[in-house]
Amino acid sequence: MKQQWIDYRIQWKPTGHQSGAMRGLSAGIGDHLRALALLRDYPDPRRLDLRASLRDPFERLYVRDTYLNTALKLIVLVDASASMGYVGAVNRWQVAQDIAAQLALSAYRTGDAFGLYVAHQSLIREGTLPPRLNRSAWHWIQQRFHHIQPQGHRIDGLIHVTSQLPRKRSLVFLVSDFGWSESDIKTMFKKLNHHDVIPIVLEDPFEVTQAPKQGMAILQDAETGQSRFVWMRAGLIQSLAHKRLQHQQMLQQLSRLYGYKPFLVHGQFNPLALTHYFMERHT
Amino acid sequence: MSPLHFLKPELLWLLPLAVLPLLSHGVKQFSYPSLMNWPKDVASLNVRWAIRAIAALVIISLVIAAAAPFTEGGTESRIGLGAEIVVVLDRSGSMSEGLKGRDYNRQSAEAGESDAHFLSKIEAARAVLLKFMQQRPADTFGIVAFNASPISVASLSSDRALAEAALLSAQSQSTGFTALGRALALALDYFEGRPYTASRLILLVSDGDAVIEGEDQEILKQAFIRQRAKLMWIYVRGEREQSILDTVIAGDNEIITAQDMAYAARQQMASMHQVFSQLGMPYQAFEVDSEQGLNKAIQAVSNATNQPTRYEYRLPRKHYAHYLYMLAIVLMGLLVWIKQQEIVVWQSSPSGKSR
Repeated sequence: MKQQWIDYRIQWKPTGHQSGAMRGLSAGIGDHLRALALLRDYPDPRRLDLRASLRDPFERLYVRDTYLNTALKLIVLVDASASMGYVGAVNRWQVAQDIAAQLALSAYRTGDAFGLYVAHQSLIREGTLPPRLNRSAWHWIQQRFHHIQPQGHRIDGLIHVTSQLPRKRSLVFLVSDFGWSESDIKTMFKKLNHHDVIPIVLEDPFEVTQAPKQGMAILQDAETGQSRFVWMRAGLIQSLAHKRLQHQQMLQQLSRLYGYKPFLVHGQFNPLALTHYFMERHT
Repeated sequence: MSPLHFLKPELLWLLPLAVLPLLSHGVKQFSYPSLMNWPKDVASLNVRWAIRAIAALVIISLVIAAAAPFTEGGTESRIGLGAEIVVVLDRSGSMSEGLKGRDYNRQSAEAGESDAHFLSKIEAARAVLLKFMQQRPADTFGIVAFNASPISVASLSSDRALAEAALLSAQSQSTGFTALGRALALALDYFEGRPYTASRLILLVSDGDAVIEGEDQEILKQAFIRQRAKLMWIYVRGEREQSILDTVIAGDNEIITAQDMAYAARQQMASMHQVFSQLGMPYQAFEVDSEQGLNKAIQAVSNATNQPTRYEYRLPRKHYAHYLYMLAIVLMGLLVWIKQQEIVVWQSSPSGKSR
């Protein structure tokens, strides 16, 4: 896999005393001026502010007090319900793995803690990585991820795992196809609402846009196992697209309610696109 | 409508196979992440049930067709025109004798001296019968010629040329014995196995001179009843013969002695006319002693046989298997077409087609 760094950025200041790359809220070594303090109070001559010291008529020496460049906690929640195992134009589970791995790599490069939780109706232990500064997480994901078999049609585990997340605000990537009911999405977002959540919506081209235009087939729901006979034709495609759009709008509306903005992955995951997303997010 | 029967009803036990299309998918199945957002599509549902119904119908029709359904044809009342006529022609020696009134100048006729030439009974009968046959194109003719034993010359068929040739070939020959009973039995045999579609007539052309034994009488009687045939006897009378309507032994020419008288009295019951009268079937006798008389008799015969015959025609069984096979073929064609519409790969191909 091509190693491509996701340059994620946030508009809020993370708390914590671990030094990292984000502007934090606590005092410490950083590049963002917080205040000027007397050398007497902060006896660190390396941070002496000459300009401020010279400007003082009482010839007191000042040192710069900066905000600590704080490490962030980056957490990836992966939905492992059966629909995530769908193989269409792309292997959805592989895409999820790519995303998690790239994020793990990027988090390590940025010096942030990386945590991973994979869950369907319950949390999958083998897919759990507590948020730590984790050098080998990228490799670990590549080794372990494909052993996990997506199954079930509930996301109870995912909702439940939110309580295990760090109490302080973290950057949470929620990787799923979001084929959830409105109430599930609402519950999930509500549980995560003190975090900065990026819903990553996986979509397969064969699902909608490149679905067959005509013919007959039986579709089996990967989650419920229900099968349905479909007669593909222009009218059905149209109503399918309409239904799909409605669902996306619902997701968007709910996200907006909590200040999130879904990131759509159509087919393969492109790390560059995610970087672009972060650049555009709060403008 | 008569009830439906099956030639192989045990095959109907295969009918539950028609449930198969309801059990199996039949159509290629694809995994799809979530059908939650799939629109409810009534048309798809209808198409699916239609396909299942068609498939079930194919199986049902094939099974039923294999069981070979049929209905009994029943019987139909029909009116038959024309007649089936078996001419039983006596070619015994006495038939070569001259017809009454044409017998007298045989020698001069043979010498070519007289116009009113000699005409034998068989010749006269042949000529008139030929004319009769030509007048009656709708009838079916069969010819039995007999003297000592009957010969099936032309069986009952519409082959008119054969019948005419058979008639012409009948030459008189004396063999001293006339097998009338067996000839009639043979004539009656002609009707055996044929559907009764027209009035049946046995036209016996004879000059008598034959005896039917008591046992044969009974057999003939039964045969006549079974074949529902009429008997007409054209008695070709020669110069010296008695009228059959007299209670004398038919065919014997002269009664000379008392012994003969006694014999005749014994044979009285065997006299043909009386025997025929007692057989219990429609019987008519025509006594003919000249060519004109023969014509008249033939006329009477045609009148009698011109009457339409009402008969019960047994209709053949009606088989329905081929209709069901046709239906199955049509439906299977439809299914093949539907199969062509099946999506093989869940992906829209660049050409926009599903295949």
